[in-house]
Amino acid sequence: MPRISGVDIPADKPIRISLRYIYGIGPTNADQILKELNIDGQRRAKELSEEDLARIIGIIDRSFLVEGALRRNIQQNVARLRDIGSWRGNRHRRSLPVRGQRTRSNARTRKGPRKTVAGKKGVKELGK
Amino acid sequence: MSRSAKKGPFVDEKLYKKVSKLNENRAKQPIKTWARACTIIPEFVGHTFEVHNGNKFLRVFVQEDMVGHKLGEFSPTRQFRGHSGRKAAEAAAAGAAPATK
Repeated sequence: MPRISGVDIPADKPIRISLRYIYGIGPTNADQILKELNIDGQRRAKELSEEDLARIIGIIDRSFLVEGALRRNIQQNVARLRDIGSWRGNRHRRSLPVRGQRTRSNARTRKGPRKTVAGKKGVKELGK
Repeated sequence: MSRSAKKGPFVDEKLYKKVSKLNENRAKQPIKTWARACTIIPEFVGHTFEVHNGNKFLRVFVQEDMVGHKLGEFSPTRQFRGHSGRKAAEAAAAGAAPATK
C-alpha cells in the first residue's frame, strides 16, 4: 500500500480511482495528474514502479492543495467571512445554506436531521 | 454567474465621489448610503458607512478584509426572532404576564 501525501494509502484499485482517496483530489484532478505524467490510469497502484509513485507524489506536493492544508485553507476562508460580519459569514455561523437556497423545505445538508416540533400542524398524523 | 471582468467592479459613482472627497481632506465621517450593491474598493478601507437595510441605516466600518464584497453584505435586511410554538408562546406569555398559572 503506497502512501501519498501523508496518511493516504490507496490500495489495489486502478490508480485513477485510488488517487481520489486523497482529500482534494477528485476525478478531474486524478486524470489530469496521470495524463501529465503519461501513466495509464487503469494500472493498479501496486503495479506502479517506485519511480512512478515518486513522480505522482512530486506533482501533488508541488501543485495541489490537499488534506490538512486544504482543510485549513477552507477553514480560514470561512473564518474570514465570519470575522468581517458578512451575510455569508452569518449563514455559516448559523449553519444555514450560504448560497441563497430555500430553507422552507430541504436544506437538510446544512441543517442536519429534522427536529420535529410538537404541536405543529401535521405532527399528530405522523404518530408520536 | 459572476460579473464580467472587462467591466470591472461595480462602484456607485456618487458614493465614490464622496469617499474621494473625504480622502482628499483626510476626513473621516460616516456616509449614509443606499448603494448596497456597490463593491467595496481599497479606497473605502477605514471609512464608516451607514448602509440602508430597507428600514434603517446600519453602521459598517470597512476593514481591509471586506474589499471585494458589497456594502449590502454587511447590513442584513432580515431579522430572525425565532419560531413560534409552545416554547415561544410560553416565553411571550411569561414576558407579558409574569404571574400566570
